[in-house]
Amino acid sequence: MSVGTEIWLFSVSVIASALGGMLGMASGIFIVPILTMLCHVDLRNAIGASIVSVIACSCGSAAAFLKERLTNVRLAIVLETATTAGALTGVFLVGRIPNPFLFFMFGTILLLSAWQMVARRNDPVSFRTRSLDHDSRVRELDSSYPDRELGLDIAYRVEHLPIGLVLMYVAGLISALLGIGSGVLKVPAMDTALRLPIKVSSATSNFMICVTAAASAGAYFMRGEIVAAITGPVALGSVFGAILGARLLVSISNQRIRLLFAAVLIAVAAQMFFAGFGKR
Amino acid sequence: MDRKTPETEGRIEAVLARALAFGTWLISAVISAGLLLSFFPAGMSYGWQLVMIGIGLFVLLPITRVILMLALFAGIREYKFAAVAALVLAIIFASLVVGAVYK
Repeated sequence: MSVGTEIWLFSVSVIASALGGMLGMASGIFIVPILTMLCHVDLRNAIGASIVSVIACSCGSAAAFLKERLTNVRLAIVLETATTAGALTGVFLVGRIPNPFLFFMFGTILLLSAWQMVARRNDPVSFRTRSLDHDSRVRELDSSYPDRELGLDIAYRVEHLPIGLVLMYVAGLISALLGIGSGVLKVPAMDTALRLPIKVSSATSNFMICVTAAASAGAYFMRGEIVAAITGPVALGSVFGAILGARLLVSISNQRIRLLFAAVLIAVAAQMFFAGFGKR
Repeated sequence: MDRKTPETEGRIEAVLARALAFGTWLISAVISAGLLLSFFPAGMSYGWQLVMIGIGLFVLLPITRVILMLALFAGIREYKFAAVAALVLAIIFASLVVGAVYK
């Protein structure tokens, strides 16, 4: 592989990861389409490179969330039993699933992301008005987080843990199969089942992604499916892109820009469906 | 030490934050060095080996984070959560074994 190719892979990864970071999504969702469509990398190698870059981005950004005290580490380790079990299942299945089916799955995930981009997320419960005092049972996973706007700690509760675990298992499975962080599937699990405040669910989901990805990336590494010449530049580019994207996050609340990106996601999804049909 | 207080939680979060940030930077430096070496014909094979080591370290970093959590929870006598961390480690280990033996 030439120096030019390395620099090209690095550059597109910076852009893909910055885009993902700006939109508050994991980078993987753009890395696999770009590598397969633009760089003509084999789908399996693209998935291997992407899953390693997912680890890099998740580990790199976790520190900031932890310092802001938004991450629920106890809940994370409990849910990670489900996400890693899902990843383990994915590692078993991935060799049995034909590429066209993986392309279709990826396209579907992109459409789901587009829909989530347009739909506004609201806190599932009004945490500000709820009092937790009346229930004296010890609930070890419940916690609180500091709300900067209000300048006080907001207590919250973790609801419907079994449903949350099932949804996390599916998220881990999809993550291993497609080489993505699967944030798009973790968000509904955390919003609708566990009923966490948005800031807590974003931070906790990001914290969990690296461990989920390590389970599948480790297996792909042992299988020898990780190509250094592709994965090296992509992982490094993703780390830089994630830092860049976090800086740009402020300006992206605009609804019009979100619609634009939703349109981009739908276009990429269409490309993935075409690839599934064997047309490029 | 008490099992769950703002102090114990804050300490756990601070240790994990430092480990993850330091690990990411160190590994990024290893991969950068490997890529730079690979630009030169003489250093090419060493360069790619170094990149591969960096990728392996990226896989090990989250595993280290889970081991750290196991130790930190055990340290504050939260044995239930330490056991959950051990279970996560076991599942990841199973995944590595599957990758090594099952194609």
